[in-house]
Amino acid sequence: MDAPAIATDKLGRDFSGKWAVRDLELAVQPGEIYGFLGQNGAGKTTTLRMLAGLLKPSAGTLRIAGLTHTGNGRALKQVLGFVPDTPPLYDYLTGRQYVALVASLWHVGRQERDERGDALLERLGLGEHADELCKGYSHGTRKKVHIAAVLATAPRVLLLDEPSSGLDPTSVRALKDLLLAESARGTTILLSTHGLELAEQICHRVGILAGGRIATEGTVAELRQRHGDRSLEDVFLQTTGTPHG
Amino acid sequence: MKLLRADLTALGNLLTHRAGRRVLAGAFVGLALLGMLAWWFAQAIFEHPALLAELRRRSGGEEVHGLLGYGLMACPMVATWLGLAQAQRQLFEAPELLLWRLVPGPSWRGPVQVLVRAGFVTACWAGALAGPFVVAILQQRAAPWWAYGLLPVAIVGATTPLLAVFLAVQIVLMRFFAGRWMRLCSAVVGALASVGFSTWLLLSLLTAPHQRARDVEAIASSPQQLPWTVDVGAELLAAAARGELATQALTALCGWLLATFFAFRLVARLHAGALERHLASEPPLLRTKRRWPEALAAVMRKKELAQLLQQPGAIIGFLVFAVLVFALCKQRVLVAGILTNPYLPAEVAQTAALLALWFIAVLLVLYAHMGRLALWDGAQWSLYMSAPAAPFALLRGKLTAVFLFLLWPLLLVGAAGVGIYEVEPGVLPVFGGIAIGGTFAALGVLAAVGTAPLLMRPDTNGQIQPGGRAFFAALGLVLGFELVVAPAMFGWLFLVDHAQRREDGLPAALAQRWTPWVVAAALLYGAVVLALGCLLGRRNYRRLLTPV
Ligand SMILES: Nc1ncnc2c1ncn2[C@@H]1O[C@H](COP(=O)(O)OP(=O)(O)OP(=O)(O)O)[C@@H](O)[C@H]1O
Ligand SMILES: [Mg+2]
Repeated sequence: MDAPAIATDKLGRDFSGKWAVRDLELAVQPGEIYGFLGQNGAGKTTTLRMLAGLLKPSAGTLRIAGLTHTGNGRALKQVLGFVPDTPPLYDYLTGRQYVALVASLWHVGRQERDERGDALLERLGLGEHADELCKGYSHGTRKKVHIAAVLATAPRVLLLDEPSSGLDPTSVRALKDLLLAESARGTTILLSTHGLELAEQICHRVGILAGGRIATEGTVAELRQRHGDRSLEDVFLQTTGTPHG
Repeated sequence: MKLLRADLTALGNLLTHRAGRRVLAGAFVGLALLGMLAWWFAQAIFEHPALLAELRRRSGGEEVHGLLGYGLMACPMVATWLGLAQAQRQLFEAPELLLWRLVPGPSWRGPVQVLVRAGFVTACWAGALAGPFVVAILQQRAAPWWAYGLLPVAIVGATTPLLAVFLAVQIVLMRFFAGRWMRLCSAVVGALASVGFSTWLLLSLLTAPHQRARDVEAIASSPQQLPWTVDVGAELLAAAARGELATQALTALCGWLLATFFAFRLVARLHAGALERHLASEPPLLRTKRRWPEALAAVMRKKELAQLLQQPGAIIGFLVFAVLVFALCKQRVLVAGILTNPYLPAEVAQTAALLALWFIAVLLVLYAHMGRLALWDGAQWSLYMSAPAAPFALLRGKLTAVFLFLLWPLLLVGAAGVGIYEVEPGVLPVFGGIAIGGTFAALGVLAAVGTAPLLMRPDTNGQIQPGGRAFFAALGLVLGFELVVAPAMFGWLFLVDHAQRREDGLPAALAQRWTPWVVAAALLYGAVVLALGCLLGRRNYRRLLTPV
């Protein structure tokens, strides 16, 4: 097997003495789609932010595509795409301008950038809104614009924090198709989600995070088998120790 | 009452939480500094018994009343500024409005809460600007202890009614005339109020005490000309200073406040409709569809320009600033003496006057442009951090955009020079050359201060908390800019001194011979400061873009 595209070793982060993520061991293979599940406050966003190089780990190490943020930060960032929960759009740029800006930040050439950006905007159903200011966009539209911008940079490793929240069913479908196509092209994808259906449909493997650690992981089929063929929802509830009927 | 309690609880939470205390400390430091200046100014007046005697003679023995009125004049100023510049956001865009509209209760409750909030902020500002001055007068007159207790009444009386009028007018206008034009108008008025207030503040800080004494004399010697609310407050306090309680003034003030409250309550019923219309009305739009260039620094520059051109409020700010600069030039602020200096050739005096005006104009916009380097991109910081771009390419793009923006004051002052002072033809290129050197220097200071990690690092949510750090950033920026232009100031003082010593003043031929050298020196000096600033800024930017 290849070296994992995303690998962490005892990764941890504390916020004034409180550990949000602790001793996290993660290995995602190239081209794999890995889903992070977990309750609110489980540490999903914190993990993704550490992987994206936005937050310094307090403990442990991480490698993405064999690179580290400390050693070859610039090279690592070039292959990495991150979609945060709230997209960092500029209110007074248009969607198309924003996509162009992000692609330029990732050194995508002008022609490639414009072609790819337009195609992605079209694909996500944003064609008619692309020349309006982001200020007026709805929640879901903002999210889609940022997803289009990040995909326009052609990342080899893609991190997404709740990518489907706020998207309408048509857009979720388009997103799933896009992610599957990216994965087929060899892009490694790590996403956090509260949508169990999304996880079941596109994730090759899922990991359930609890208390900053991975409580259980495997393919959806494996997890269900381990818990006596219950649904993924039941597996989630049992693993996170939620009291239920 | 519940809304009031909620706001008070929020205010209390500021005290009990660390982040909140930081915000409070920042606000407090700023206001305290203003208050200290007001206090010193009052002391400076008492050190001039001649001025006091003159005031007493001219006002027929009512100089305390007049002085108090002068002190309280800051109240309507603050109320006008906040009422026009900030109230619109609070009235129509505050996030809590949604909740307040959903609450089962009278429809005026939300808008009244907006008034209460705005009134509180206004009173704080007015208290800082007017309070120390008034207290100093009361102290000097050995007023009884309860006289100080009347100060808040006077301040609230001089601010809240005016504020309520501004809010009410905006509600009514928005209810009946909402639309693109209305949005545009209120943006223009708000920008004018902001710029006007900061200019007033700056001028009253910059003006030398003996110059200000003339204003004091004008207002204090004819108290009848004070606005009514200020006059009543001054009367109340003047009586208190003598140890008497002016019951009539007190009832008038309280009655006026009550009447304000009830009248505002009536207008407030229109607020729901006004809000709906405001939300339905489109902001005026400008945008370009042209494709962007390829190089990153060029894209960043384009982005800054687009954000300005596509944001109506920002363009309006630029236009309002133009009006302000022309007003400053017309008033000959700071330059009347320079222009009439008998020892200097006309060209030299005119160039110096334009440069002085340029300096003030740049000082006025420098802080606003500093935000473009890091502060305003707080929410987008995660994007820059995760991008593989060279930090300096980002910074360079932003700095070139800011350089273009900084040419605006230069153009305006040049135009005013031609239009208002009718300067000699040779003056403009010299002024332009030196001012471009100065713009380089200003840019250098911006690059260093506007990226300082200590002042500018966004927190994990991409926010840079307003308050303390922003205040110190502004202070650092202004001091830094003054420091880098100090050589020019010294050069000027030396020149004037030298000209005065000669019997026939500075000969024009000599000045002409030296002019090219001065321009070259200014450009070179500016370039050096810019280079140093860029070096610092580059290091800072790299640090800002590293995770913590
Ligand atoms: N900047 C911060 N300062 C202090 N604590 C933080 C900070 N960011 C996260 N935390 C804490 O870390 C823990 C994990 O938060 P995180 O945002 O990673 O959760 P999450 O799994 O993404 O939750 P959600 O499903 O709600 O998005 C929480 O307890 C949170 O309070
Ligand atoms: Mg999260």
